[in-house]
Amino acid sequence: MPDSLSAALATLRRRYGPQALRRGDQQEAAERWPTGIPILDGVLMPGGLPRGRITVIAASSSRGPSGRLTLLQSLAALASRSRDVGYVDLAGTLDPGFLADLGADLHACLVLTPGHDRWERGLAMARTLTGAGMPWMGVALGEQDRPRTALWEHALAAFAETVSKRGAVGVIAAPAPLAAPLAHASSLTLTCAAAGWQRAHGDVTGLRVRVTTTKSKVSAPGAEAMLLLRYPRPYAVAEVLGLPSVVAPAITMVDTELMPAAAVAPG
Amino acid sequence: MRILCALHAHLGLVTALQRFPELHGEPVIVGGAPELRLPVVAASAAARAAGVRPGQPLRQAQQLCPAAAFVPIDPAAVTRLREAVSATLLRLAPAVEVGDDQVFCDISGRHVQHIDEAAWAAAIARALDTALGAGSPAVGMAGSRFVARMAAMRSGPGRIRRVRPAEEATFLAPLPLEVLPIDPAMAARLAAFGLDCLGAVAGLSPADLQRQFGPEGIRLHRLVRGEEIDGLHAEPAAQTWSERLVLAGPVGDLEVLLQAARRCTETLGARLAERGLAAATVRLEYEVEESVPVAVAEVAPAPAGNVAEAWTVVLGLLGRLQPAGPVAAVRVEVGQLGPAGGRQTDLLRPGDSARDAVALAAGRLRARFGEASVRRPRLALDPGDLPERRYVWEAPVVAAAS
Repeated sequence: MPDSLSAALATLRRRYGPQALRRGDQQEAAERWPTGIPILDGVLMPGGLPRGRITVIAASSSRGPSGRLTLLQSLAALASRSRDVGYVDLAGTLDPGFLADLGADLHACLVLTPGHDRWERGLAMARTLTGAGMPWMGVALGEQDRPRTALWEHALAAFAETVSKRGAVGVIAAPAPLAAPLAHASSLTLTCAAAGWQRAHGDVTGLRVRVTTTKSKVSAPGAEAMLLLRYPRPYAVAEVLGLPSVVAPAITMVDTELMPAAAVAPG
Repeated sequence: MRILCALHAHLGLVTALQRFPELHGEPVIVGGAPELRLPVVAASAAARAAGVRPGQPLRQAQQLCPAAAFVPIDPAAVTRLREAVSATLLRLAPAVEVGDDQVFCDISGRHVQHIDEAAWAAAIARALDTALGAGSPAVGMAGSRFVARMAAMRSGPGRIRRVRPAEEATFLAPLPLEVLPIDPAMAARLAAFGLDCLGAVAGLSPADLQRQFGPEGIRLHRLVRGEEIDGLHAEPAAQTWSERLVLAGPVGDLEVLLQAARRCTETLGARLAERGLAAATVRLEYEVEESVPVAVAEVAPAPAGNVAEAWTVVLGLLGRLQPAGPVAAVRVEVGQLGPAGGRQTDLLRPGDSARDAVALAAGRLRARFGEASVRRPRLALDPGDLPERRYVWEAPVVAAAS
């Protein structure tokens, strides 16, 4: 490297700080929110979910349940044990009882229901609460939420800017293929694909999901793992006392083998 | 609870003397011209010395004091002065009630800058004196509103009378019945019973007083024993401020309207910042020539407490408002004003103010999009068998209050 270039780089670092310049092969530093689940924190998103960034959980439901909303709700339940959580229910599928079964502290959860097909309003509400200091915000988009690009881009950019400014965790579960602005705004994209039901004694006890890090600005993309999203069973006593009925995270790692397609349940 | 009462010159008289400083020391009667059939609102010391009292007909006041100057009251100036006094005293006490001729302050607990209650009261009295410029007030301190007022009436200008806790009944006992804020018929009946002072009434049982006067008897019993539970009636801050700009001529140019809205917003934003308040709602109105005004309002994403924050909201409103014709005037209105600062509890427990800010933001979203737009689920105590009965929805509230 020529001396003049080195001197210029040194000047820039001195003037704007060491974070102003980085090499192309160095990852952008981002604060993390560790989930406490080894497979997530260690393999799929090293260190945990990035703070001040948008994380997208994407999946196509053309082949039945994909697990993206269950994964989002599991993460929200985990987060609610240590901080306030906002959940924008654009998909209209949230069952607070199920959230409690996942171990959520419901007192720390705020549920936003902007109405059917009100994704722009939903993002504006999420932005408002994040701007006010909500540290964790989940947005669940429904299968039909495929908004027009210009409006979507504006609302999403405002939300992403607020998440960045407040250092919050922003997680959006969206149907695949992702809208272009969302794919662009995402710093970490996890793609889910169902790999079959988990059964025990003839009952469905969970869903096996293959999760791939298809995009990551904060770590190396391409990581892949199989998750078991266990469906918790409610226990009446725990519900009455408001205690989590499932203390351990409902996400466990299984093998990394892909389940046969025949095992995927339709509908 | 400890309450301070300060008796001062009537605000109407103070504003009148501010308008006509040459009348200082002269007999002045505030209320209007003497030929009007109106009562006296306030009278200066010289007029009172001649026998003029508030509430008298102005014509009677003229007969008592023919040399007095009669001045009409200026309600707008009185309101401005009351706001200024309130703002001044709120820097010294957490709750303030400003009346026409008396001020009540909550002085429970301790003030960090004043060593004791007396020093705190002296600071409030000095601040009131400075704000009004009408002489030192008479100050009383006690555990209830009524006793504090009585203490103030029995002190003098520039003096503070303190009734210590648990000494209220002793202080009140020798006072005559006339000081009681009760119905005259009730006072007459008490006198008919041979009761001549508050101590005599305090000696009766509450049951006896209730038998004679109904529910008012219980209140009377508390009053004469200094156990009245009425606190301060602190007035909330003005809910809405607006700024209107009349254009030189009807205008259709959006750039001119933008500049007009900007000027209104700058005035309001500066006022908000000066008072330490923030607005939850912002409204923009165009007065269209020969047509009905058009307006649009919005709940601010975050409370607007200065020019920049208010302008961000107004800018959004400008794009939504399309005047049907030339605009004659522009009005910007800010509403739901509240303190802009954080909560003091944040000093002790970091994060409280953030939770409160989230709860307040949720409240604004509910106001804007409906009660069902933001809710907090809570597990039901009796869930039953149906899944939908396992939880109930409740409104998010400020964390400290939940």
